[in-house]
Amino acid sequence: MMGTETELTDDIDQPLRDRLKAHPKPALLWGIGLCVLLLLEGPTYLDGLLGAIGYGLGVLPGAPGAEAFASASAFFGELPHLLSRELIPNRGYYDGSSWQGTFLGLEPKYAWLIRFLLVYVYVAVLLGWLWYGYVLFRRHYRAADWTPTDDVIDRLRSHYWGLFGLAVVVFFITMAVFAPVVGPTTAEENIQGPYSHEMQYFNEDTETVETITIGEANLGSASRGSGDSNVGIWSYDDFGRFHPVGTLVSGKDLFTFLAFGARVSLFIGLGSMAIAGFIATTLALVTAYYKGVTDLIVVLTSDSVQAMPALLLVILATVVFKNHWIAEIYNGAMLFILLFALIRWPGLWRAVRGPALQVGEQEWVDAAKSYGQRPTVIMRKHMAPYILGYLLVYASLTLGGVIISVSALSFLGLGITAPTPEWGRAINIGQQYIASQSWHISLIPGILITLVVTGFNALSDGIRDAIDPQSEGAEGGATGAAAGGGGG
Amino acid sequence: MSESVIETTSHQTGETLLDVQDLKTYYEGGGLLGGDPVKAVDGVNFEISRGETFGLVGESGCGKTTLGRTLIQLETATSGTVSFDGTDITELSGDDLKEWRRNAQMVFQDPESSLNDRMTVGEIIREPLDVHDQGTASERREKVRTLLDQVGLMPEHYYRYPHQFSGGQRQRIGIARALALEPEFVVLDEPVSALDVSVQAQILNLLEDLQEEFGLTYLFIAHDLSVVRHICDRVGVMYLGNLMEVGPTEQLFQNPENPYTRALLSAIPEPDPTAQVDRITLPGSPPSPRDPPEGCPFATRCPVRIRPEDIEASDEVWDRIREFRDVIRERSRAEQSIGERLKERLGFDTALADSEEIVDEEFSDVDLPSDVRGHVEQAAAYLSDGEPDAARAYLREVFGSQCDTETPQYYDVGDRRMSFCHRHAQEHVSPGDELRQRGYDTHDG
Ligand code: SF4
Repeated sequence: MMGTETELTDDIDQPLRDRLKAHPKPALLWGIGLCVLLLLEGPTYLDGLLGAIGYGLGVLPGAPGAEAFASASAFFGELPHLLSRELIPNRGYYDGSSWQGTFLGLEPKYAWLIRFLLVYVYVAVLLGWLWYGYVLFRRHYRAADWTPTDDVIDRLRSHYWGLFGLAVVVFFITMAVFAPVVGPTTAEENIQGPYSHEMQYFNEDTETVETITIGEANLGSASRGSGDSNVGIWSYDDFGRFHPVGTLVSGKDLFTFLAFGARVSLFIGLGSMAIAGFIATTLALVTAYYKGVTDLIVVLTSDSVQAMPALLLVILATVVFKNHWIAEIYNGAMLFILLFALIRWPGLWRAVRGPALQVGEQEWVDAAKSYGQRPTVIMRKHMAPYILGYLLVYASLTLGGVIISVSALSFLGLGITAPTPEWGRAINIGQQYIASQSWHISLIPGILITLVVTGFNALSDGIRDAIDPQSEGAEGGATGAAAGGGGG
Repeated sequence: MSESVIETTSHQTGETLLDVQDLKTYYEGGGLLGGDPVKAVDGVNFEISRGETFGLVGESGCGKTTLGRTLIQLETATSGTVSFDGTDITELSGDDLKEWRRNAQMVFQDPESSLNDRMTVGEIIREPLDVHDQGTASERREKVRTLLDQVGLMPEHYYRYPHQFSGGQRQRIGIARALALEPEFVVLDEPVSALDVSVQAQILNLLEDLQEEFGLTYLFIAHDLSVVRHICDRVGVMYLGNLMEVGPTEQLFQNPENPYTRALLSAIPEPDPTAQVDRITLPGSPPSPRDPPEGCPFATRCPVRIRPEDIEASDEVWDRIREFRDVIRERSRAEQSIGERLKERLGFDTALADSEEIVDEEFSDVDLPSDVRGHVEQAAAYLSDGEPDAARAYLREVFGSQCDTETPQYYDVGDRRMSFCHRHAQEHVSPGDELRQRGYDTHDG
């Protein structure tokens, strides 16, 4: 899909510029709208981007420039923006008559809910605006009045199961991207350094406002299944803190944990799929173009990779690399990306090999050879666009599997190390309380994993039916797989 | 022999553009074990003169498309030379090859598959120009618009996608792409066979007009003989990787010389349906190009194959012998399956049981002369011993002739015509006479 878009623009860039000049108004208005939307949240994006670069540099030996990026990131982090806890604070204390410190003096629960919803409204508006931009482009600026991509998009638009998947995926990605704002508290305060942050609360016994470290407060808000030591779904703890889905055994906020856990899962899932997808596509194109010995070598390699017991390999690698610097990056997430890319590329390659061989047989490939087009260009321009769709389908299916695997490893205590939150670990922690009143610790992350994996599967169904309308009607299988996979 | 052709060729310019000498294109057998190569083109000789349309006909699988693809270097020749304007293009590589490619282009058979659906028509036609860096971007766009006009499309089709066009229009786009680099030589690989009959004529006319306008030389590959007759100046008839006959279209159609050409042409329906004709229907199917017959490629199916002089038998018996040899031949080709091998190891009879059956089936209702019966039984004995190869060799030994052992040469059979058949030699009866003798209808009456 994207391939067509770029080809189109780079081929006829001159006419596009002319068309923009001839009729600039819609584009200009749209551009202004986009700027406003981006500026509202500009500091967050810059903070995130620079922070990630700084973090990346920090891992390198000598950490060149990491400081500068970190401080720049911190600078942007301080700037006011729309979706921030400073603008809509949800934490405060009840002084006996009213809430202090919360947004408009509302109850923390509503203050949090407003911020949470605002995040999703913002994302919805942003995506809607981008879609509107595409519509404008189609209507006013695109030289072609019809492209094959239009049909694909139209089919996807009427594919409700696929749209459901898309919605779930967007929900999940938003949660991951805006993790610091959607949670009722932050990872820094609540998870990483609870004893270095303080908070105020209203002590009902003494009827005074007291200060306490968050760590101590957490001791009092723990969910341990028995007695009154439980903070369940949609409730306050003794310190006036609101927990949308309850607390962990340690008394930490589960929602915040889950939001940051989404980040890790998504990071590993997308990262490993990007690498595996790149390897798979490259190999599929090369083998479909050259065939023969090349194909044979790749078949043998992928077979041997697939013959390895994947889980054992991952476990082994986590142990071997325990103190290696790669394992330090993002508490092991980077290591998992590499491992899952290594394990999963043969599957993806197999999935796109057929389409690649098929497109390699097309006469337009011969035509391109006959006027002397370079092999790399033939692969990129005449073959790749036809297999990217299939790659997307299988990558999003596989991505669900990766998320489950990571959770499973964390569940076994081998995955992402504490303190970085990971859903599987929450399931593990809460496992022994599943029959008690603290059932939420295991169940909520379990449901989320199921939902997310189903979402990715549904999206992949939608894409498949959109790019290949003949294959419709295989929904049952994918849903079944998702349901089966959700148990992890 | 071919030299004489060069001197007399073409009513148009008389100059040879393309000279093909003993060209062979083999595909390596697939799979790990290699196996025999597919001999798609197995030694052909011919020339094409500048400005003419040379037709290449034959059943599907005879290697005509591979030959066409080899001529524009889409396939690598195994041996032989293709000299284009004096340069042997099979030797070219790298930049020289790329530079040469602009001289020779191809129009493909299937308009559905020959255009990349994800590109606009403009991009498709422009790509060859981009590859060869011709002019500035806007000059190229201009050139594409001119080409669109020349092939009968609209300049505003530039930004349309192939999906929005009919088969005929798509083929026009393919033609425009082939002409973008202003080649001298264009291979037309069954350019109209995928189109509606009503559209075929339009495309053929377009091709003829373009040829006139740009002085193009065509190699026209087809299986539709009437189209070939309509558009080609000269024709080559291919069978199993070999050119059986080459000659000017009209003469070849009216007065075919080679037995295979005669068989091929007799498949065309007669204009007069009441005329009682005994068509030459070819028995069996073409042999595998992995294992073509020694001697003449047509020997396994030829209705006028030369028979050994020392065996007297009726036509019917010879027919049965041919069928029997076909069966044995297939036997020796077929790889034993693992199951069969296992059975053999375990002592089950695999071959014996059916070797008698085969003989029975073939010969039970005819009277075999005793010498023939003796040979057949000997072959059956080899077969029962599980040695189909020996049986095959034996049969070739006793029933074979020059046709089975010697590759024919090209005989000059009249005005710039060549035919690939032993029967044109002095000592044999000519194919036409022999056909009549064996009771077939012949075109030349
Ligand atoms: S050489 Fe023999 S087999 Fe071949 S065409 Fe002539 S007569 Fe037939």
